[in-house]
Order: sequence, then C-alpha cells, then structure tokens
Amino acid sequence: MEFLRPATWEEALAVKAQHPSAVPIAGGTDVMVDLNFDRHRPDALLDLNRIHELHTWQIADDDTVRLGASVPYSKIIDALPDRLPGLALGARTVGSPQIRNRGSVGGNLGGASPAGDAHPPLLASGATVEAASVRGTRLIPIDDFYLGVKRNALEPDELIRAIHIPSATGPQQFAKVGTRNAMVIAVCSFAVALHPRARDVRTGIGSAAPTPRRASEAEAFIRAELDDTGLWTSAGELPLSTAKRFGELVARAAAPIDDVRGSAAYRRHALAVMARRTLLWTWNDHRATGRAAA
Amino acid sequence: MSPQTTPWIGAAAARVDGPVKVTGTAIYTGDVALPELAHAVLVQSTIAKGRITDMDIAAAETAPGVLAVCTSDGSLGIGRVASYYSADNGPMGDGRTPLSDAVIHHHGQHIAMVVAQTLEEAVAGAERIRTRYRHQSPLVRIEDAIPQTPPGREDIVRGDLTTGLAVADVTVEAYYETPPQHMNPMEPCTTTAHWVGDRLTVYDSTQYVSGVRDALASAFGVPPANVRVLSGFVGGGFGSKGTVWPHVLLAAAAARLVDRPVRLALTRPQMFTSCGTRPATRQRIVLGAHRDGRLTAIGHDGTSATSPGENVVESTGGLTSILYACPNVTIRQRIVRLDMQAPTFQRAPGRAPGSFALESALDELAHELRMDPVELRLRNHADADPSSGRPWSGKHLRECYRVGAERFGWDPADRTPGTRREGDVLIGTGMASATHEMDPGPAAAYAELRVDGTAVIGVASHDIGTGTYTVLGQIAADVLGLPPERIIVRLGDTDLPEAPPSIGSQTVAYVGPAIRRACEAVRDDLLAAAVADPESPLYRREIGAIEFGPRTYVAELARIGEPSVSAVGHHHPDANSRYAVHSFGAHFAEVAVDALTGTVRVRRMVGAFDVGRVINPRTARSQLLGGMTFGLAQALMEATVIDPRRGHVVEPHLAGYHLPVNADIGTLDVLFVGEPDPHISDLGARGAGEIGVVGAAAAIANAVFHATGVRVRTLPITPDRVVAGSAVGG
Ligand SMILES: Cc1cc2nc3c(=O)[nH]c(=O)nc-3n(C[C@H](O)[C@H](O)[C@H](O)COP(=O)(O)OP(=O)(O)OC[C@H]3O[C@@H](n4cnc5c(N)ncnc54)[C@H](O)[C@@H]3O)c2cc1C
Repeated sequence: MEFLRPATWEEALAVKAQHPSAVPIAGGTDVMVDLNFDRHRPDALLDLNRIHELHTWQIADDDTVRLGASVPYSKIIDALPDRLPGLALGARTVGSPQIRNRGSVGGNLGGASPAGDAHPPLLASGATVEAASVRGTRLIPIDDFYLGVKRNALEPDELIRAIHIPSATGPQQFAKVGTRNAMVIAVCSFAVALHPRARDVRTGIGSAAPTPRRASEAEAFIRAELDDTGLWTSAGELPLSTAKRFGELVARAAAPIDDVRGSAAYRRHALAVMARRTLLWTWNDHRATGRAAA
Repeated sequence: MSPQTTPWIGAAAARVDGPVKVTGTAIYTGDVALPELAHAVLVQSTIAKGRITDMDIAAAETAPGVLAVCTSDGSLGIGRVASYYSADNGPMGDGRTPLSDAVIHHHGQHIAMVVAQTLEEAVAGAERIRTRYRHQSPLVRIEDAIPQTPPGREDIVRGDLTTGLAVADVTVEAYYETPPQHMNPMEPCTTTAHWVGDRLTVYDSTQYVSGVRDALASAFGVPPANVRVLSGFVGGGFGSKGTVWPHVLLAAAAARLVDRPVRLALTRPQMFTSCGTRPATRQRIVLGAHRDGRLTAIGHDGTSATSPGENVVESTGGLTSILYACPNVTIRQRIVRLDMQAPTFQRAPGRAPGSFALESALDELAHELRMDPVELRLRNHADADPSSGRPWSGKHLRECYRVGAERFGWDPADRTPGTRREGDVLIGTGMASATHEMDPGPAAAYAELRVDGTAVIGVASHDIGTGTYTVLGQIAADVLGLPPERIIVRLGDTDLPEAPPSIGSQTVAYVGPAIRRACEAVRDDLLAAAVADPESPLYRREIGAIEFGPRTYVAELARIGEPSVSAVGHHHPDANSRYAVHSFGAHFAEVAVDALTGTVRVRRMVGAFDVGRVINPRTARSQLLGGMTFGLAQALMEATVIDPRRGHVVEPHLAGYHLPVNADIGTLDVLFVGEPDPHISDLGARGAGEIGVVGAAAAIANAVFHATGVRVRTLPITPDRVVAGSAVGG
C-alpha cells in the first residue's frame, strides 16, 4: 500500500489525478476503521493532513461560511455555533471527544453514510460542496451530492476542498435517536432550519433512507402554511396540528428499513416526533428572538 | 469468632495496582516480551454448520515469514480435555478438541492456524487460506429448537404448584425473553506459550491459572508440575476467562510445533465466537398470592440455549428457590441445542436473566394487588432458606429495603403508572431484590516474613480488575501488624498455592481466609520458636500477649540469622454448612422515558447491599457500581444479534455491541448494610461483585412500567419496544 502525503492542495489534486483509486484520509475516523476491519484494501492512501488550508474556514461577504473539508467537529462546536447552529448541534452528538477532535465534515461527506450526523444539518442549511480536480472546481448543491448508500457525486479524480454553508438567519435544530447517550450511530436523525428572510423552512433526514434526504413535501406544506396564515409576519403561535402534520409528512418522506438498530416503523414514528418537536422549538425560538429584536 | 479489627480491615485503600495501570507500565499477557517470539493467528469458519470439504493452504505456507500452517486434521496431537459442564467437570469451556476434525459446529469455529515471525505476516498468511465447505442450515433461534431436560437435572419442586395457584386470590403469569450477551472484557483473551523441553510456561489472561495448567498438562501429556501458568494482570474477564478455551491449547501446540515462544491474541471480533457467551433465555413465571400479598405459588420455567455438545444451563430459576418464603414452588430448567459455541457463565450467571423475570413478575403482582412493591417483598421475606430450611449465615435484606428506600426517597403511595410527567418525559421509579449464592471452594496461600521488615503473600488467585492485590494485602496487614505498603502480594502464578478460579464473587470470601491462615501460621511459627528459645528476648512470653509487628519479627529473624521465614495456610470452607450462604441487596431506580420516542434514561440508582464484612469500601463500591452499570446495560442495551439464517454475529465489535458510556450513567449510589457474617468464615466477608447486576435490570424495567404503563418483557428495553408497547403514540 502506497502512502501519499502531498504538502499542498495543488499537489494533492495532481496526485489524485494520477491515482484516482487512492483513498483520501482526513481525520481517518472512518478510513482507519475500514482498514482495520479489512473492508477495503486500497492500493494507496492519500493523506490530506499536511494541507493546512483544509483545517481553516473563512466568512464570505454574503456571510457564507467556507468550511475547510478537514475542520474537525470540535472546532465547529467551539468556534461556529452561532453561525452554524444546526451543524454544531449535530457535531456535538458525534462519537466521543477523541472522534470529534479528528472527524470532519469533509470526511462525513466523503463516506456519505446515510447515518452521518453532518448531513441533515447541511441539507437543512442549503450547503454547497466545493469539489476540485486538476480539471477545475465544481460547486455541487448538497441536494445533488448524495447518490446512494455510501455513494456521492464526486468523480474519481475529485477531492472536497470546502463546504459552503450559509450562516444561519433563523433558528436551527438537530435531533437524533440512539440507544445510548454518546458513541452511538443514529437510529434516525432530523434537522430543520428556519430561513426567515427567504421565508423558507428546510429539512434533512438521516438514517432513514438509502441517502440523507430532504422532506420536500413537508417543507412545501409548512412554507404554504406559514405564508397562508401570515405567521411569518405575525410571529404568532404555530398550531400544534400544523406541527403534527409536518411531522407526518417528514415521516412519509423517509424510506427506512428494519435493521439491528430499529424497525422501519419505529424510524418513521420517531421521525414524526422529532420533526414536530424541532419545528416547534425553532418556531418558538424564532418568535422569541423576533419579539426581542422588535 | 470475629477477628480483631486493625485499621487495615475496612480501610478505603486505593488500588495498589493503580499507578502501574494508569502509567501503562503494568505487564499484561500481550505485553510479555520473549526472545524469538512468534505469532499465531486463527482462521475461523464462515459457516455455522456443515463440513470443511477442502482447504487450500499452499499460498499460506509459502507466504513471507510463515513458520507453520495447521489445519483441522488433528495432526497437532492435542489430547482431549474434559469440559467444565461434563461429568468429569474439567477445566475447558468447550470439550471439543480444537483443529481435530472437519465438522463445523458453529460460525467462527477455529479451522486453521498460521504461525509466523510477526503478527502481520501471520495475518497475511491466514488471509491466503481458501476453504470450501459443505453447508447445512444452522439452527440458531431458540424458538426453532425443541426443549430438552438437561441430563442429570431434576425439577425443583416444593409443595404443589397447582394447589398453590388454586388457593390464590390473585395470579400473574408472564413470559420474559433475554438475548444472548458477550462478556467483552477490555483485554481480549491472549496467550503466550513457551516450551523448554517438556516444560511449558504460559502467560495467559485468565481467571483460572490452575485450570489452564491442568488443561495444558492433560492436553500435552505432561505432569501438571511441568506447566507453569502466569497471569499477573487481567483486563477483566466477566466469565470469558473463567474456563479454558481452545485458543489456549492452540497457542501451546503452536509453540511446540515451531519450537519457539508463540503469542496468540484473539481479535475483538473473534471474542464473539471463541470464549463463551451468555445464552438467550425464554422464561415463564406464574405467581399466586393472597390479597395480603403472601405468595401461595411460584412457577418458574426457564429455557436457555446451549451448543450441540455441551449441557450448559443458564440457571434462571436458581434464585427463585430461595428468595421468597412460598410453600408451593416448581422450577423447571430446559435447554435447547443450537449451532453455536458452548455458552458459559457470565456476570451473575442464571441470576442476571432470572432476576429480570422473577423481579419483574413480582412487580406485576404488586401492581395487580395495588401494593407497594417493597411491602410485597417484606411480606414474603424468607427468614430461613426456603429451599433447605437452613438458617442464613447472615441476612440483612430487610435493612437493604429500608435503607435503600430511605436514601432513594421511595414513595410507597405513588405507585400509579404514567402519572409523573415533565413535558414529554415520563418519570418512574422501580425496585427489585438482589441475591447471590456463594459457592465455597478451598484455597491455600503462602506468607513470608523478611528480615528487611517486609512481607510477601502469595496465592494462585487473580486480580481481574477487582482489587485483589489491594484487598488481600489489607487482610495480611491486619494479621501481620505492618502497613500494606510493606506487603508484596503475588497472584496469578501456578507456582503459588492453589486457589479456586476468580469467578462467582468468591475471591475475597474464600481466598481472604486462606491468607489469614498463612499469615497466622508464619507469625505463630516464628513466635512459638522464639518463646521456646532461651536466647530469644521473647523466651517464655505468652504468645497471645506479644504485640506482633515488623519490630518483633525483624529482631527475631536477625537474631536467628534467617533472611526470611514462610508458611502455607489453608482454608476449607464447609461444603455442608449448617447455614445457607448468600449475599443480599435491593435496587431502586428512577428513569426518565421520552413518552414519544421511547428512549429511556436512568437518572439515578440506589443499591443497598448486605455482603457481610466490607474489607475495603472503596474497591467493594467500585465492584457494585460496575455491577449496577452492567445491570443498566442488560436493561437497555446489551444484546448480541445473531443472523437468523447464517448464524453469525451481526456486529462483532464494540461499535455495535452497546455497553453504557459515561453519559448514560446518572447518579449511582451504593450503600453497605449489614455486618460481618459470623458463619461464612472468621473474616466474615461474602461475595460483593456480581450481586450488583442481579435485579438491577428488573428495577429499571419496573421503573419504565411505573413511568409509562408499558411492561417490556423482552430485553433490552429499546426505544422501539417502549413505543410498540405504548398506547400514547404520536
Ligand atoms: C468510534 C467512532 C464513533 C463515530 N461516531 C459517529 C457519529 O456519532 N456520527 C457520525 O456521523 N459519524 C461517526 N463516526 C464516523 C466518522 O467519525 C465520521 O464519519 C467523520 O465525519 C469522518 O471524518 P474523518 O475526517 O475522520 O474522515 P476520514 O475517515 O478521513 O474519511 C472518511 C471518508 O471520506 C473520504 N474523504 C476524506 N476527506 C476527503 C476529501 N477532502 N475529499 C474527498 N473525500 C474525502 C475518505 O476517503 C473516506 O472515504 C464515528 C467513527 C468512530 C470511529
């Protein structure tokens, strides 16, 4: 097995172009487990750890966070909880302190496991993946990124350089059901983000379909409800029946299976509960902060 | 007779092995460095039932660094050694001789071994082996097999169950299910073997050095005296290292084959098929009671899984025969044969799953009777052992209930389920009784006084993370009159006097008195010689009046010119005691259940235990905290998932096999109730480890019922089971 250690981003792209089968390694918290269990035996590893810029982030003029692919979860939790509250909440539930010190959003996207905890918040925030190769750079909308179980839209010669995530303009939430309080793969998870300026609500479902996905029908429903009832303007109370209906539609958007972690029926049930709850939490937050601002 | 108590008995001493462990300098079996050490790796069956039809090892044999490849052809010449469960009561966990034939009895059976210069070369060599099988459908679900009566085992019958049920005002009948579990100690099983001529030295992570010695001696046809087994530190066992498993024999066979020291370390996934399991159980309980709560009948039928070749019984009904005074009791124990490796004892064998069923059923009865579950248990308190009529050696169970309930803040009036709510979270409390039977075993120990003012004690027992080094040192300090830091404790070496395996929470209770005997013997021998010696300043003094301590014996040893004196002491507990010897306890738990997602969090638990004399409250408390934590695991998480068609463990690793993490444990409170047991030994200590597990899962399950009104009778209590049982929905 070859171990390739490029020192710069350009060099990394060149190496990846030359060895398209080389497996990138960021925090290694997925890659090393796979190697250990002998699930993969790549002929080359492409170590990205010398490339400093992947561990940094910048804020663009439009307030979008350009998050380096290798920034570990613990940094996101410490430094970006205000701009990226949904992602920071998801990051808090990842593994253990050791895993959060190494694991990254780039790695979560690279693995594209339906259970990855970064995915629902990225979907709900409307993130964009910056993928690059010697051929050039592509901005892949998160909605187009997940193709199948552990399959993503990257070409063999491409690497993730950064993830562009709009700073939150409203409350965001993340919820996860697991059988223990840490070190747990989600039975299912859900994220919701309110985008008051755009009068939009976006969602992300985890661990309940072959890929992470949005609940489009639920989003359309709540958008229409909020518009029709003038709630964005009035900042009035969200009827419980609306939240319930939203939850049902989220559950309907899922395509779960029975597995050792839980039944399909339970996953749908739990998703409905989490969606209803998180919608109410975010809406009530929105009302409280809206009033405070007014 | 109670011993005089010096400050050492009862002192909350810190673990003496702590510093070497936290600094990483403790030498575990896998750390033992030997020159020319080679490495053995096992290849395991990928089918659960059938035969090996062909194995191609040519590529493995020529792989770099490979010294030997062994297949299932019996050519290793390992002799048969009896299993623990056979009539011969041998030391093996599974009596099948490893690599002796082509028949596959379970998924993960060892089918080949590769020995190489390095571990990596052995792994790489093993991967080159190609195996073909003739495959048969395995039987892996307990429901699919026909229950049989275990050979030589009779039903326990007291009075008449039918009559007892007929006179009852209230009856309760329920079925309970518990899953297979694995011990999963932190340190996987590891063996390092080294032959010099026909003498064998083995470093093994084991709870039973003498058993390993005996197994190796008979497997290789050498006298036991030629085999020395060392096990200085053991990273937990929980039963997986309590009998001898095939890999131990294979490590020694490999070392003989290549004529070099060989290490064989099981991987974590291999730990799921190589060193036992707690089998799945199915239990039916029927209870009859008068309106006032007095039990008129208890029926407990338990079925547990075992392997094709071993009659291992998970004795779920064991505690049922002694826990409550009840005139009409029938306990039936059945086994089913599945295509699995032989199960074995794991953390409170029988009692852990058995107490879940019995103590859940008691709670169901309390609910039927609208009675406080503590009161129900008090009304059925057994003042003597109901199975034998013998008095208890010591029992303070009533105090356990009382003191535990008080500390917990148990409210007997608040027993209506589903009434305490904090938002979407339902709060509930539950309790259960605990008991643990002691299985007496003889032990011997060694004590030596040295002229430099130190002492050495030794016994072929083990510190499996329980604090044995610390506690035995305290017991010796008490007799020898010197501080524990001046006492060197030697364990885990078959050259030392023999002790029982470190299983069944028996080490302090039965090895402790042997240490006392040895220390008394060396002290009394020295003093007897001194008072009889006209040259000695102690001449003609009365032995009992001499204050013994380092000053006394250093002076004596210096005077007679001896660097040290030593003695061996024996403790033979009375196997036919007039007394029934059990530890007792009571658990109280508070849970918070998300009414909608069904997730259960244990906010706090209180355990009150009567374990006789507590030699070291710090290590004893840790044992019980660990036990309660494993009880929480049993209640909410622990389960080995077996593929129903192919018979393999679905997730053989700690990412999939869930044990609690720190964030799952709320407040755990351990209280010691009771006093030195006057009848178990003059040390007065009973077992204080596994009892922390017994009843803990039931207390949590009962709290879940109190919180939600949902009775989950299948472990573990996962969110989907709570939701499925719930009418709330959402
Ligand atoms: C004990 C433990 C607990 C865990 N708990 C959780 C959890 O709770 N939630 C969760 O979501 N995950 C969990 N994980 C999985 C893992 O930590 C996460 O998926 C993490 O985000 C992976 O990041 P990493 O930087 O370590 O990725 P790596 O392991 O380095 O890489 C992961 C994948 O991404 C690819 N990759 C990495 N960087 C790039 C790049 N720049 N461009 C293209 N491809 C790339 C790699 O080739 C690989 O396929 C856990 C893992 C462990 C070992």
